[in-house]
Amino acid sequence: MASAANANLNAVRETMDVLLEISRLLNTGLDMESLSICVRLCEQGINPEALSAVIKELRKTSESLKASENSTS
Amino acid sequence: MKASSSSSITELLGALCDCSLSGVSWKRRSLGTVSRESFRRTLKKRVYGALLSKLFQDGTKGPVPGQSAAANTPPRNKVLMICFDLRVAGCREEAERLEGQLERLPEGTSSGLQEVDAVLELLVHLAGSAPPAPSSF
Repeated sequence: MASAANANLNAVRETMDVLLEISRLLNTGLDMESLSICVRLCEQGINPEALSAVIKELRKTSESLKASENSTS
Repeated sequence: MKASSSSSITELLGALCDCSLSGVSWKRRSLGTVSRESFRRTLKKRVYGALLSKLFQDGTKGPVPGQSAAANTPPRNKVLMICFDLRVAGCREEAERLEGQLERLPEGTSSGLQEVDAVLELLVHLAGSAPPAPSSF
């Protein structure tokens, strides 16, 4: 039982490493933490296209916040 | 909130908001009108807005000619199409690395994940959305 769980954990780890490398090569801008959150959201059934819209919206908003921070400092 | 301890969709979306807010100085901001918490609330509203607007678009979308073919293309094939585009653009090395990683990516349950194709689909949608990395001299 424990060895099956370990094997699954190793498979997930390996898959995550490959996904992160693909993500980097595609220049998606996701780091390991964001990618693992996205993976879990996809596992929960969130539509990937909708999730990409969410990520783009988050980037747009946080970039405008950072830009306003730079202009006031 | 740590992503590793969250499991529900709302918690995971909150963790995603936190990730996007990293690097913002809140010490100076807290003196003004925008606090981290109020900004986080605004961000979450926008996140749900983006998520729901997509949901409603999906519901009203009819069979648009030309769109269904792309929608039905498996994500692995979409990545291969990106590889082809990279080759055409003269980025042979990147194309080969991408193809190599795609071959390494396990399919189905052997990946340890249930929705590996959905994740790949997400990466295709986000492809090229980040600013290019600064070239080193």
